[in-house]
Amino acid sequence: MAVAHSEEAHEAPAGPVPTVVRPWADPYLDPETYDPEGDLMVMNLGPQHPSTHGVFRVKLWLDGEVCVKAVPYPGYLHRGVEKLCEKLTYVQIPPIVDKNDYVSPYINELAVNMAFEQLNAVEVPRRSQYLRTLGAEMQRVGSHLLWLGTFAMDMGGALGGGASAFMHTFRERETILDCFELWTGARFHYNTLTVGGSRHDVPAGFAEMVRRTYETIRARTIEYDELIYDNAIFRSRTEGVGRVDAKLAMELGVSGPILRASGIDWDLRRDRPYAAYGELKINVPVRSAGDSLARYEVRMAEMRESIRLVLDLIDGIPEGPICALKPVKLPGAFKGKAGQAYVAVDGPRGELGTWVIADGTERAYRLKIRPPSYHAMALIPYLAPGSTLSDIIVTLGSLDPILGEVDR
Amino acid sequence: MSTPDDLASLLREGFDLEPADPLTVDRSRVVELARSLKGIGFEYFSYCAAAHYPATDADPDRTVVEYRLRRLPRDEVAFRVWVPTGESTPSLCGVFAGADWQEREQYDLVGTVFADHPDLRRIMLPEDWEGHPLRRDYAIDTRHHPWR
Repeated sequence: MAVAHSEEAHEAPAGPVPTVVRPWADPYLDPETYDPEGDLMVMNLGPQHPSTHGVFRVKLWLDGEVCVKAVPYPGYLHRGVEKLCEKLTYVQIPPIVDKNDYVSPYINELAVNMAFEQLNAVEVPRRSQYLRTLGAEMQRVGSHLLWLGTFAMDMGGALGGGASAFMHTFRERETILDCFELWTGARFHYNTLTVGGSRHDVPAGFAEMVRRTYETIRARTIEYDELIYDNAIFRSRTEGVGRVDAKLAMELGVSGPILRASGIDWDLRRDRPYAAYGELKINVPVRSAGDSLARYEVRMAEMRESIRLVLDLIDGIPEGPICALKPVKLPGAFKGKAGQAYVAVDGPRGELGTWVIADGTERAYRLKIRPPSYHAMALIPYLAPGSTLSDIIVTLGSLDPILGEVDR
Repeated sequence: MSTPDDLASLLREGFDLEPADPLTVDRSRVVELARSLKGIGFEYFSYCAAAHYPATDADPDRTVVEYRLRRLPRDEVAFRVWVPTGESTPSLCGVFAGADWQEREQYDLVGTVFADHPDLRRIMLPEDWEGHPLRRDYAIDTRHHPWR
C-alpha cells in the first residue's frame, strides 16, 4: 500500500470558511442570552487540562457536545517579564527572555539582541550572522518536534496508544538539545547571544555531531508521516477541523505556520531578511485549506526545509570574529543610545518582535515582546463556537501555543 | 526602508503627515487613519504597545500608544498617539479585530484607557489587582493587594 506523505497538499474542504459573529457582538458574559432555558452546560477547559499546553483557561458554553461560545482567560503564567526588563540592564535581558517561549529560547534571544543592535547601529560580523542562522534553524526543528509530539498526544489513543508518537519525537529533540549543550553549555536557556554577536563559537566535533543528528531526523520525518499522517483516524480528526479564515487571521495578527496554512505566502526570513537569511534560498511552504491538517503539513514541510538549511549551513560557515564588541563582564558596562526600535524575526510560531524604547542609559526604558502565540490564541473565540469539544482540543493543539510567551 | 508611493500620498494628502517610523497622529484622527490604511491593503495588525511617561516641566503625565500594521509581504507602517493620563484614546477594535486583546493588555499593564472598546477588562492580572505595573511610578518591590 502506498504511504501518504505530507509533501503533497491534501484537497481543500469545499466551501468558504464559515464566518463567526464577532464575540463582542453578543452581550458579554451573559449566559441568559444564550441560554434562557438553562440548558447549556458551562465548562472550564483548563487551566490544568493537559491539552491546553500549559495553563490556559477557556470558559465554554456547551450545547451537548457542541460549543456555543468560548471565552479565553489567559494570564495564569504572567510573570511580569516586561517589568523585569525595565529594571535589568541590556546584558541581563537575554537570559530572561529565554524563558518566554521556552521551546525556542535561541530565537527569543535573537529577537531582543537584534533590537538592541538596531538601536545602537552595531554591525554583527558575518560569521556570527551565520551562526545565528544555524542556531535558529536547529531550534526550529526542535520546536516543531515538540509540537508534533504533543499534537499527536492530544489525539491520544487514536494514534497507536497515548504517548507513542510523543516518545519518538522527544527522542529526536533530545539529540538536538545535546548539540546545543555541546555548543553553549546549556540545553535550554542558553544566554549565548549578546549585543554584537555571540558568546560561544562552535567547538571541535560540532559539525560532525550536527550532521549526524539532523540526517537521522531527516530519515525519521518519513516515519512520522507513516505513523501520523498516514493514519486514517488522524486524517478524519484533523481534516476540515479548526479552519482559519485568512482575512480574520491577518486582522488578529496571526502569523507563521498558521497564516501560511491559510494561503498567505509570507515569511519574514524571506521577505524582510535578517541574520544571514538574505544570502540563502528559502522555500516557504504554503497551503490553502486552513484546517488543522494543513497546519500539520506546513510545519512538517518547514521542518524538512530547516533540516536542509542546517545541513547546508554547517559546512559553509565563514571564518572571522564572532562578536563585534569586546565581551562585557559587568552587567552595567553596556550603555545603549537613546531611541526606539522594532525588530521582528520569524520564529517557529510566527512574527516574534521586540519593541524597545531606550533613554541612553544601561537599561531599556520600555521593552515589549510581541509574541506570536498571544495573537494565535485570540483565534479561540472564533474557532471554538460550532465545533465539538474534542475538535476544540485538536484545534488548540494545531495552533501550537506556548503559554510562557502568551502570558509573559 | 523606503515608503511606497500610495502610502506616502495617502499620508500627505489625507492626513498632512510626512512619512516617518513611527508617525505621530492626533487622537481624533487615529481611527480614520487606521481605516484608510486598511483600505490600501495594510490588513495585518502587528501589535499595539504603550509606554508611560511621568510628568515633566514641559509635559503632563501621559502614555504613548503605538500601532503597527503591515501590508504583506514587505510594507509596514507604525503610528503613535499621545494620551494624557485621565483621558482616553479611541479604540481600533472596530477596524481590526486584533486590537481587542492587544488594547486590553496595554490597558491592564500600562493603564491607557481605550474609549469605545467593547470589552475593556484586565487580561493578564487578576480582576482585583490594584494599579498598572508598567507605569514608571509603580515600584517593582512594593507589595500589592491581595498578595501581601
